[in-house]
Amino acid sequence: MNEKKYSSMSVRRAIGNAVTYAVLILVSIIWLFPFFGLLMTSFRSYESEYGGMIGYVIPKRFSLDNYRFLFSGENNYLRWYGNTVLIALVVSVLQTLMVLCVAYALSRMRFRGRKLLMRFWLILGMFPGFLTMICMYFLLKQFGLTQAGAVPGLILVYVASSGMGYYVCKGYFDTIPKALDEAARIDGATRARIFVQMIIPLSKPIVIYTALTAFMAPWCDYIFASYVAFGNDKSYNVAVAMTRWVWTNDYQGYFTRFCAGGILVAIPVTILFMCLQRYYVEGVTGGAVKG
Amino acid sequence: MAGTADGTAKKKSAFAGALSAFSADIKEIGTTFAEGDWKTRVSYLIMGFGPILRGLYAKGWALFLSEILFIWYMISFGGQYISKFATLGTIETQKIRRKTVYGDNSFLILLFGILTIVVIAAFIYLWRLNVRENKKEQDRLRAGKALETNQKFLFSLLDENFDKTLLAIPVLGIFIFTVLPIIFMICVAFTNYDDKHQAPTHLFTWVGLENFRNLFSFGTSGFGKTFLMVLIWTLAWAFFATFIDYFLGLAVAMLINKKGIRFKKLWRTILVLTIAVPQFVSLLYIMRMFAADGLVNSYLLKWGLIRTAIPFWTDPALAKIMIILINIWVGIPYLMLIATGLLMNIPEDLYESASIDGANGWQMFWSITLPYMLFVTGPFLLTQFTANLNNFNVIYLLTQGKPLSTNLAGNAGHTDLLVTWLYKMTVNDTNYKMAAVIGIMVFVVTAVISLVVYNMLPSVRDEEGFQ
Amino acid sequence: MKNKALTAALSSAVAVTLLAGCGSGTASGTGQEATADTAAAEETAEAETEEDAPQEEIDYGTGEIKVWVADNAVDFTNQQIKAFQEANPDFSGYSMVVEATGEGDAAGNMITDVEAGADIYVFAQDQIARLVSAGALEEVAPENVEAVKAANDAGAVAAATVGDILYAYPLTSDNGYFMYYDKSVVKDPSDLDAILADCEAAGKSFYMEINSGWYQTAFFFGTGCTLSYETDNDGNFTAANVDYASDAGVVALKEMIHLNNSPAFVNGSSVGAADAAKMAAIVDGTWDAQAAKDALGDNYACAKLPSFKGADGKTYQLSGFSGYKLLGVKPQEDEGKLMVCDALAQFLSGGEVQLARYESVGWGPSNLEVQKSEKVMADEALTALNEQMLNDVPQGQYPGDYWTLATGLGDSVINGEISDKTSDADLLAKLQEFQDTCISYAK
Repeated sequence: MNEKKYSSMSVRRAIGNAVTYAVLILVSIIWLFPFFGLLMTSFRSYESEYGGMIGYVIPKRFSLDNYRFLFSGENNYLRWYGNTVLIALVVSVLQTLMVLCVAYALSRMRFRGRKLLMRFWLILGMFPGFLTMICMYFLLKQFGLTQAGAVPGLILVYVASSGMGYYVCKGYFDTIPKALDEAARIDGATRARIFVQMIIPLSKPIVIYTALTAFMAPWCDYIFASYVAFGNDKSYNVAVAMTRWVWTNDYQGYFTRFCAGGILVAIPVTILFMCLQRYYVEGVTGGAVKG
Repeated sequence: MAGTADGTAKKKSAFAGALSAFSADIKEIGTTFAEGDWKTRVSYLIMGFGPILRGLYAKGWALFLSEILFIWYMISFGGQYISKFATLGTIETQKIRRKTVYGDNSFLILLFGILTIVVIAAFIYLWRLNVRENKKEQDRLRAGKALETNQKFLFSLLDENFDKTLLAIPVLGIFIFTVLPIIFMICVAFTNYDDKHQAPTHLFTWVGLENFRNLFSFGTSGFGKTFLMVLIWTLAWAFFATFIDYFLGLAVAMLINKKGIRFKKLWRTILVLTIAVPQFVSLLYIMRMFAADGLVNSYLLKWGLIRTAIPFWTDPALAKIMIILINIWVGIPYLMLIATGLLMNIPEDLYESASIDGANGWQMFWSITLPYMLFVTGPFLLTQFTANLNNFNVIYLLTQGKPLSTNLAGNAGHTDLLVTWLYKMTVNDTNYKMAAVIGIMVFVVTAVISLVVYNMLPSVRDEEGFQ
Repeated sequence: MKNKALTAALSSAVAVTLLAGCGSGTASGTGQEATADTAAAEETAEAETEEDAPQEEIDYGTGEIKVWVADNAVDFTNQQIKAFQEANPDFSGYSMVVEATGEGDAAGNMITDVEAGADIYVFAQDQIARLVSAGALEEVAPENVEAVKAANDAGAVAAATVGDILYAYPLTSDNGYFMYYDKSVVKDPSDLDAILADCEAAGKSFYMEINSGWYQTAFFFGTGCTLSYETDNDGNFTAANVDYASDAGVVALKEMIHLNNSPAFVNGSSVGAADAAKMAAIVDGTWDAQAAKDALGDNYACAKLPSFKGADGKTYQLSGFSGYKLLGVKPQEDEGKLMVCDALAQFLSGGEVQLARYESVGWGPSNLEVQKSEKVMADEALTALNEQMLNDVPQGQYPGDYWTLATGLGDSVINGEISDKTSDADLLAKLQEFQDTCISYAK
């Protein structure tokens, strides 16, 4: 009797697993298809098959034409790419510093106006970011950080307000027992020393998480970057420069080139992300629970 | 953020408190002057005078220098803007022969006018600080104690005053690049700054509540009807985008976590690709995929499944559905990651005892997994919801708010969210005044929803709830 | 790669950005009546630019002049500017920089921040009123006005004029649309129903972007409706002349619905975005000529737009807009710089450069002399366009809102909000609403 029940259960489990696998495989196909299509389109030859839309996925003949075009010097692709990498790296470092400072101060220190500050920032965060675009533009322009100076300008804007994104990091600091701080203070360590020598080393996952998200964001910024850099091809980032290839009629048949450029953008970011995935998960999950 | 009644009471008392603190401040300024020695009294005019004479050079000179700086700022820069603030400029741009001579720039007057007001406020605060420091020093000296040395003060910036060191730059950055622009744009909502009144060639000026009246006017040229339609879609979108993704993400996470399923890491990695690849690449490709002559339509036509192309992006209802569906593609992976982490936290024995009681998988999901998840992720769902209210990328990269319609004002489209509408008004129509109004409305909507929902969350009402 | 792009460019292909589908139209045709008496004037104009400077020894000052043109014309423009600088050593104080900013983006960017915008820029003429009212366009130098008016076709001059002031230098008259088609599929390109029948039979598609305010006028203007605006000298819209809410309007709208009902119909106007294997005909402009040649191969053919049999039994020829690309100069705070800018703009829009530009990047000229040159006459696409232009309406000024409004109307047809089930009365009501909204833009 027992045995029979057991075997019927195992049959059921096997069926259940089979269904699960089927679903997962289907999901995987849906998730991967756009990337597959993107990759295939990027290999379609501009010369022999046309760079626009075509009703099939796999190119008739594989070629590296589109990639060659990107590096041919006919456009500033390398420059755009360099701009983006530069912005991403600098923002990643500075933003992490800002976030860590704010999070530590709000988590560990008790000072007058702390609650008020946190509430004020929360309210500020409810204003849509695009609202202030025109104002930011003219502010940056006062410092000469638009058009030709758009790259440092963008860095400044990304970093300046990044302190408001302290939640996840503060949440993490809150979980580090305060007793550690107190013990160190009794031993005569200053707050600054505790922060640098104790808390930061203990917070490696969250530091990496913050740096990673800060690094990835500038790759996608089309909106603000195009607003600040307009009319100056050399200071575009990849997103600004390449969306033109899809959206404006000046660029007929650039779709395959867009795909090739997109692939080159996606590869390093994806690899980096995959390597640091563990920390990302930790950050996201922690952030979610904290809200 | 306690209950509302509680909150108002608190606010009232806070207000009364601020008022009494203010009057106490004024009084203290008076008594300090009356009781102060001549050094203190001169400091009322020349900041830092007292500290310098008392040997606190660094502090004294810093105060003195900031006064000089302030005066220089007002004379050379701030004064001209603040004086024109009430009118936002009166001198028109004119032509002298063929040369253009620009008049007042309303934009800069508004911007730097606000900045100057803030600088003045900061100066008043500094001046108050100057008075207080004088009083402190005087009191210490009278009591026969030594003054605090600069060294000690500087050292304290690394210790008990470390928060000031840490927060100085972030607060300044946020002030210049968030607070100032927001104040500016709120002001713009009360001006007629649009394509017909554009600096530097044209002046704009204050118009009071006219723009808000326009937003709520339901006549043919008013924004009222359109605003309502866009608002409803924005809310509907945020609702679907949040909850569909949430439940599907949870489902996928549970599938992957299921006992006996292998290659867990592989499945996760595949899904997570959507987070890793920059959205402008993936979403623009997908947009093209579903275009009238894109891949999907081509194949469906080729296989004879349809006779005419499916208007994925041009049919309003279909476009909305497509956006929500594609957002699933974007959103599930996040939820899957989060859910995966949290599911492991559910104590195994809860399930064991449930299965001894004869509960099947479905019942266990309803009675254990779901309540736990909802409880733990309540605040997250709220932030997710408000984030989706402002989810620019997905909408803009896929449809740019299209399809448009003759029924909508202000060039709004059927799939426009308030934010994309706001963006288009800024960039395409240079209708800054209405963009500012819409921005304020977005804020109001977000704030109201956050407040109401936050107070309803079980995890807020009952900290110990799920144990 | 470079050569390839260059050859492609040489053989034709103009890229025009149609922001919100507003382009401008063609032209060699429109101006033909006016040709005869103008050749002489044009020569004087050119002479002027060159002689002007050396005579008076003016100090023009120094600085940088920024020029915005579409990406594919950057190299060409650089070459021409070099020639200009060599011919005018007086202007050596100025360095000239060419940036790739297409006509679509140029107007928007100029309006966002005039100061940071280019000193000289190319734009599609439908943007002119917006640019003037935002203070981003300087009037054409008085000494150049007569010469410009005489040298270019009447449509182009009208397009560059706001109120009664000439605000820009005409650059091209090629911004109009006609039809590219596949000879092997479409037997009779003169009848819309026949074309659709051929496409349906072959399982191929007919492309036309009916939700664009630009292409849509093919129907309305075809049945005799009008839609135009009057502007004052500052670029403000003062009055609208529109009669869409009429029997003729209903016939046009019904034809759009009829077209939309055909399984062969696809809404679109870009060869690049079309599925090359399925495209049998497309209503498009000269900027896509090369792409169309690539896509259609040996079966490539061009024709003016077809006619159609309206719901009222009469036959109408599809009409449309003829549009222009213009070269604008930004208001300057320095008179010396303005003079240099004017001279450069006059040079870049002059006859010789227009011919060279046609040869290099394929933009159809607005200059009457150049229009009659052999090379231009031999161009298949331009010839089709010229034929179509005879039926077209020169595109005047339209408020930006018009384009979106028209897209709304087109979208309503495509998504079936308006269909053949809609009664005539309702169609008329819809058009009345459209018309009223159009009128409300002019205040």
